[in-house]
Parts: sequence; structure tokens; C-alpha cells
Amino acid sequence: MLQVKRFNRLYHYWSSWSLKQRVTFAVQLFAILGILCLPVISIAALVLTLAVLNMTLGIRRFYVKVLTFLFDYATKIKKDKEIAIEADFVSMGPSTPHSELHFADSSIDSAIELSPLDAMKKEDDAAQSSRISRASSQSDIQFRFSDILDYTRQGLEAIVDDEVTKRFTSADEMAVWNLLTRTQQQHELFSLRVTILWFLGFLIRYFILFPFRLCLFFLAMFWMMGAILFLKYLPISKGKLRFGFYINIVLHRILSRVFSAIITFHNTEHRAKCGSICVANHTSPIDVIILSTDNGFSMIGQKHGGFFGLVQRSLSQTANHIWFERSETKDRHMVAEKMREHIKNPTNLPILIFPEGTCINNTSVMMFKKGCFEIDEAPIYPVAIKYDNRFGDAFWNSSKHQLVQYLILMMTSWAIVVDVYYLPPMRIQPNELSTDFARRVKAAIAKQGGFVDLEWDGGLKRSLPKADFREEEQRKFYEMLKTE
Amino acid sequence: MGSNASIMLQQEDLQNICQQTGFTTKQVQRLYSRFKTLDKRDCGFLTREDLLCIPEVNINPLGERLIDVIMNDYGENNKINFKQFIFLLAKFRHGKVKASTTEFNTRECKLRFLFDMYDRNHDMKIDRNELLEVLKMMVGGNIHEEQIATIADHTISELDKDGDKSITFEEFCKTLERIDADDKMSMKFLS
Repeated sequence: MLQVKRFNRLYHYWSSWSLKQRVTFAVQLFAILGILCLPVISIAALVLTLAVLNMTLGIRRFYVKVLTFLFDYATKIKKDKEIAIEADFVSMGPSTPHSELHFADSSIDSAIELSPLDAMKKEDDAAQSSRISRASSQSDIQFRFSDILDYTRQGLEAIVDDEVTKRFTSADEMAVWNLLTRTQQQHELFSLRVTILWFLGFLIRYFILFPFRLCLFFLAMFWMMGAILFLKYLPISKGKLRFGFYINIVLHRILSRVFSAIITFHNTEHRAKCGSICVANHTSPIDVIILSTDNGFSMIGQKHGGFFGLVQRSLSQTANHIWFERSETKDRHMVAEKMREHIKNPTNLPILIFPEGTCINNTSVMMFKKGCFEIDEAPIYPVAIKYDNRFGDAFWNSSKHQLVQYLILMMTSWAIVVDVYYLPPMRIQPNELSTDFARRVKAAIAKQGGFVDLEWDGGLKRSLPKADFREEEQRKFYEMLKTE
Repeated sequence: MGSNASIMLQQEDLQNICQQTGFTTKQVQRLYSRFKTLDKRDCGFLTREDLLCIPEVNINPLGERLIDVIMNDYGENNKINFKQFIFLLAKFRHGKVKASTTEFNTRECKLRFLFDMYDRNHDMKIDRNELLEVLKMMVGGNIHEEQIATIADHTISELDKDGDKSITFEEFCKTLERIDADDKMSMKFLS
């Protein structure tokens, strides 16, 4: 009752105004709103302009420089504290043995390929030379009790450190602490100065950077919606793809600002061209955004329902993507056929594929699935994506975080600094198997990005190795028994 | 978000462990980090399945036997906590230099571990059946059952001094003396 009365009174008041008064009122109202929203609108306009023109103000790079300085300062404090603690400890109890063998950090990246079978081979050679020779026929095989030695030790060494498990978690602690408590494995806020720095950092990241980035995200969404409407009603179909290409790039440039991504592209003369396949190592869902700021790609994947399905359908307006029904994904022939069709059309964008099949933590490349390497009509453009962990760990540990959680973590990190290396195109040789070709491409990417080249399957993240591998080990042992 | 505070390594524990095992603080921290990586469910102990998840252990012919030894002799109820884990690993530190030897990593400890890989009923003797089991694990289907039995008999008879068709710990140690088992079973721990 009261509401209606109030409303009546307001209406009465409003209708008693002359036209001039009403117009003045409206203008005043919009002016106030405009001034309040001005910073937001102007920043949005600025970002949009920069994205379209592909320019940058250099703010992000400057910001990164400031951060580096801060991190060095914090680490220095930490190191001083650590030395103090060590000194205390040493003076307390009996001396810790310094005669231990100290080895350089095991994470030296080398381009040597480590395969599951190599892992077992390590000290067999040394052992063999000290054995007394045995007969070579099967009936004279001898077994010594000491034969279990190597396998036992290798098993223990694998428990202490193995090549595979550590690829599926965020990389070990860094030399320089970046004021993010989520990364430091064993952090104690041991100094007042560092604690203050961390707390300030926390406030800045969650209450200044995060809302700002969220606004940019909405800007990207508006851009997308506007663009979709524009394209839907665009009559000419030829120009549609061209527009779609640019719309896509601008969208991804805005999105890259959402994560404060500082991307450096190398060797842009090897940018993937139409009618080819682009292959890259996979660390996070953001990889797609990063690559798309410089080039347009056709995605390939399963059709989803719900929100993601909507995203897929709207993306399909801007370019020809390849989406599959759930049932079709198992059929490798059909997938290859669709890819071939796509490649035949010269106006279609290059197909972007991540052959590892899952996210790896950017210290190594794991086995490339041979599917896309079987298509010999198209050249393969390999790309190496290397993240700098100091400003934010981009690796998505899907067993630890959901996608939304991960995106929020990314939006509250300092920044994402990434180097993208385009590599010259590779083609399959006449007598080469697709698995060997896949291996060759993987080695090239590993070499460029400074990753460890592993032959282990990324699927080991969630499943156990096949029984074949153990049987292979047993066979090798048997061979060794026979020939020694 | 963040690490589980209840299983973080306390300063006192750290010092105790270092003194008893002979590891440096950095080595213990690194091993602790590794323990937490393997402990995916963040419950403070490792189970058989956690260790079997490591691909290199999984494809090792003796992988399961090794895990048996670890779980039964060093852990309890299919669980091994960090203290037990690190005391187990302390056995495999190099013991060549006098200063780095503690009660845990003597030559005898290492040989004893190897002996336990065979001797699962803990009767201090390796009998024919135990040897057969290990042999089968190592060669799989590549050799026939009868042949494996022959090989096992031959191996035992070579070393069996007292004719009871089983090998005691002393006989075992004697045969391993020739090949510097101590050095071969030692591991390099990074710090």
C-alpha cells in the first residue's frame, strides 16, 4: 500500500514538470552516471583501441620490471634469514656430514630423449662387465642372488625421484620467491618486512587487479556478442571470414589483457598459414588465447552442451571450426577425414592441435599422439610455448583445481609472461612412420623451448602404464641372462 | 588453498631426523617435498597404490615386491608416514666415508634389505620357493616353469654350504661380497 502511494506521489510530481525540466533532469542524471563510469568506459575504450590496432603502451612490461625488483628484494631477505637459521643449527648439534656428494640441480634441461625403456638401462653396462661369463645356450642360464640388485636400486631411485610424476604438478620451488603463498612449498612468513610485502601484494592482486581484470573480461564478452550480431546480419559471405579473422584476434588480445599476459613472439616468418596444421605443447587452457593473439586458428574438439556449447557455436560464426559429436571422437578415420576436408579448402584457417592430449607443467614435452601426424597433405608448423613461472604459474593441475578455480587463480596472479617460438614447417618424409615423425616434431619443440624430451605418455597422469612395458623389461632381463 | 598445515615439517622434527639419519636439512626438505607430491590425497601417509602409480616403479619387474618390502617391513597397515619413509631411505646413503655412516646405512643394513626382498616369511632363510617367486617375477613368461625350477635349484646348490636347501644370511652376504653390493645399493640424494 505504502509503495503504491509513494509511486503515485512521484508520478504526480513528474507530470507536474514541464518538458524543459524533464529534459534537464535526464541530462543531469546521465552526466552524473557518465562521470562515475567514465574511468571504466575510457579504460575499456582504450583497451579496445589498443587491441584493434595491435599496439601496447608498455605498461605491462614496466609492471613486470617493478615486480622483478620486488622479488629480488624479498628473496634477499629470505636468504639472509636462511643463513642465520643454518648457522644456529650447525652450532647446535653434531656436524651434518659435508662429505655428501653434491650434485647440480637435476632439472637441467637437456634435449636427450628419455624413454621408459632407457630408464631401466642406466647401470646395466657397468654391471655386465664385472660378471663372469655364462654359457649362451638356454639350458645353461644361471641366476645369481645379486641379480636383483639393479632393479631394486632403480625402483628405490624412482621412488625418490622419477621423470614422470613431477611433470604433473607445479614445478618445484623457484630460486626467487614471487610473493605468492600458493607457490612456495614450505613457506613460513619469517620476516616482518616480507609479511608486509606479501600482504600488500595480496591486497593489490585481489582487490585492485582482479576487479579490473574482471571488467576487461566483460568487455571481451560484449565485444564477442556485438561481433556475433554484426556477423549474423552481414549479407556478404566472402567478407565474413575476413571479418571473422580480425574479430577473433581482437577478442583474444582483450582476453590476453585479462590475464596481464606479456607475450613475445619469435620467428614470426614461420607463422602457420592456411591449409596447414599447427602443433604446440600444452600447459594450460590459456595457450589457445595466447596463440590466437597473433594468428587465427580453427579449433578441433568435441561438441559440448551448456555454456561451453554456446561458446563453441558463437566461435563457429567467426571461422570454420571442426566440432565432433561425442560418439565420433573414437573414430580416428572420421576425424582424419574431416581434417583433410578442412585442409583442402584454401580459405580455412590452420588447425590448432595439442598432441600431448593433456596439460603438462612446462618443464617437459611428453609423447605426441600420432593422429594428426598421419595427414600428409598438410605441413606441420610446430610452436614451442615457454612460460616464465616467476609471475604466475600457468600450469593447470586438473586434479587439483576446477577450470573456474584455475581461471580465478590466473586472474589473481601477478602476470603471465610467455615466449612463443614459431618453428619452420616440417613434413613427413616418404618412408617415415607417423610415430617417428611425431617424435621428430616433439624433439624440435623440446630443443627450442629448452624442455626435457620424454617418451612417456601424458595419459599417465590419470592411468597406469600398460602391462606391455613390464613384460618388455622381463624380456630384457631374460636376454641379458642368456647372453652373459 | 595452500598446504596442509598439520603435516608441515616442524623445525624440531627436522633437526632430529637430520641427526639420526645423517641427511642434511636440504636433503630432508627435498624428500619431504617428494613425499607430499606422492601423497596425492594429502593424508600424511603413502599407500601401495600411491607408490605403484609411479610409472617407473610400475614397469619394474620387481616393483611390486619392492613395495611389499617397504609397506610390510617399514610401514604398517598399508600405510607409511614420512618418518618411516625417511628412515627407510636413510639406509641407502653412501657409507664409504667414516663421517657419513650412522647406524642406518651400514653395509649390513643394505645387504639385509636385499635379503628381505627374497625372504618374505622372515625366517632368516631363503628357501627354494622364495627364490622361485623372485625368479618368476623377473623373467615373466620368457622361461618355462620347469626350467625356472632347475635354475633355482642350481643357484641354491652353488651357495648352500650346510646342505639344507636354503640360504642363510651369512651365506648370502658371502656371495655378495665379491661385487661391492654396498656401493651398488647406495643412492645419490640431491640437496
